[in-house]
Amino acid sequence: MNAIEIRNLSKSFRNLYAVDGLNMTVPMGAIYGFIGENGSGKSTTEKLICGHLVPDNGEIKLFGRDYTDPGVRVRVGALIENAGCFPGSSIYQNLMMQAINLGLENPDEEIHRVLEIVRMSEHAQLKFKKCSLGMRQRIGIAMALLGDPALLILDEPINGLDTDGMRIMREILVDITKKYGCTVLISSHILGELEKIATHYGIIRQGKMIMELSAEEMDSRAQVFVSLKTKDMVGAMKKLAEKYADVRMEDEYVRVYDVDDTASIVDFLMKNGHVVSEIQKNKIGLEEYYIELMSKKEGA
Amino acid sequence: MARELKFESPSFGRRLKGMLGVDFYRLFHTPLYYIFLAIAAIIPAMVSGFTSMPDQNGNVMEPLYQNAWQIIAAAEPLYVINTIADYANMNMVFIFGGIMVSIFIGHDYSSGYVKQLFTTHAKKQDYMLSKTIVCAFAMACMCVTYLIGGIAGGLVAGYPFQVNVGSLLLAILGKMVMSLGWASLYTFLNVIFRRYFGVSIASSFFFGTGILIIGAAAIVESLQLPTAFLNIFLYGSSVNACLVSNISTLLICVVVSVAWAVFYNILGTHILSKSDVY
Repeated sequence: MNAIEIRNLSKSFRNLYAVDGLNMTVPMGAIYGFIGENGSGKSTTEKLICGHLVPDNGEIKLFGRDYTDPGVRVRVGALIENAGCFPGSSIYQNLMMQAINLGLENPDEEIHRVLEIVRMSEHAQLKFKKCSLGMRQRIGIAMALLGDPALLILDEPINGLDTDGMRIMREILVDITKKYGCTVLISSHILGELEKIATHYGIIRQGKMIMELSAEEMDSRAQVFVSLKTKDMVGAMKKLAEKYADVRMEDEYVRVYDVDDTASIVDFLMKNGHVVSEIQKNKIGLEEYYIELMSKKEGA
Repeated sequence: MARELKFESPSFGRRLKGMLGVDFYRLFHTPLYYIFLAIAAIIPAMVSGFTSMPDQNGNVMEPLYQNAWQIIAAAEPLYVINTIADYANMNMVFIFGGIMVSIFIGHDYSSGYVKQLFTTHAKKQDYMLSKTIVCAFAMACMCVTYLIGGIAGGLVAGYPFQVNVGSLLLAILGKMVMSLGWASLYTFLNVIFRRYFGVSIASSFFFGTGILIIGAAAIVESLQLPTAFLNIFLYGSSVNACLVSNISTLLICVVVSVAWAVFYNILGTHILSKSDVY
């Protein structure tokens, strides 16, 4: 059974399709990185899953049930755009309201549990309006975590966070999936961060899902390359091109693609009079993979 | 790590209890509620107090009321008002209440809290019903503080207090019962104009003043139709609950208030279900 299964989902605003016949499958227990450009339909899809928007067409199933089923909806937590808290109320009061809304038996205990998960225990009485952006995002996660959710939907939760904030958020998300077995759907522009936690990816473009793949598949598709520096970069590149199929000059480095044997490259260049001053093995990251994929689609 | 999951559909009662719990918690934890309770108490005291004060020449205005209880309810049903005194009775609570409901529901949307509610509560009827009940409760409480303010104002102004106690109680109860219908109207208006906070406040004020019913009353009067016809409207029934009320007045209030509450709840639920949350 999949946590989310979407078939042929469409949503338009004034005859302009934000989501256009989208299909999506999020396996249970996955951290699903939802990637796409601004306006590609990520947030709209998430809002549709959360029931904030009414779809024009299509089917959304959560854990095999219709997404409007109250039984499944009480097990969904979301952070869409903002935490959805009352600024004049304290963090504790905001969480208490959501705990009451969910009908939790021990709301106080539950609030302290989620505050601990998001490392906010000592700030419970702080008014929401006095919280920093990073704190607000964590409170949003705490709100979403109340009531033992089986599915978390997070829209750009690391946007605007500093390095430390991102690290804390990453740790929290990994904790949630490991300890509580939650399925997480997370959209983000910061692909480098997403790459560190995601187990699956979905790439959306102009409202259509153009690719879904697991982290393992992503890994196997990612090109390996060796990047190096010599005194005569152009000469070295020309020489390497005689032996290797894909040699490029990128970011002030000579890159030899689909090769990971640095020793043979150094040996080859030495024999041809080029001294290598710097060399390293690399793998194309999610960001580069995504950019390449998008440029191919653009060209298509 | 996958886990075994159980999905129990919460009953309507459990869902409503949760939603009501949140709304009551919010109501009691927001200064807005207490401010409006205070306004409801201060306004009648001010109206009766000011009208009994002498001007700079030492002359006292002609009293607005003949009896202290007219601050609470009109002496007889007045569908078309002639003076401010005809208007300045407990019906004003329905105007204050309209503004309070607009702010209360407006905060749901402006803070984004409504997203949390609708993520976990798929049923929009829970939202409509809960807001109607809680706002009706708040308006009924405002009727109580208005009564206290009205009595205090009557004492200060020195108005006589003779009244048919039964009729007075039925009038007060009738107006409190009408809070349900008014709260459902305001909840509906705020759901319709959820994207436009200013419009929702203006519309609540417009409907709360009973401008439409005043127009209808003028037509009824000019056509010499029975004015009892106007009691099917919220404002009509609210006005009908006056110092000559009897048990049938209260029954009319109950029926009209509940009927409009059901109507606005069904309509509001339908609109919410068929439209985007924001």
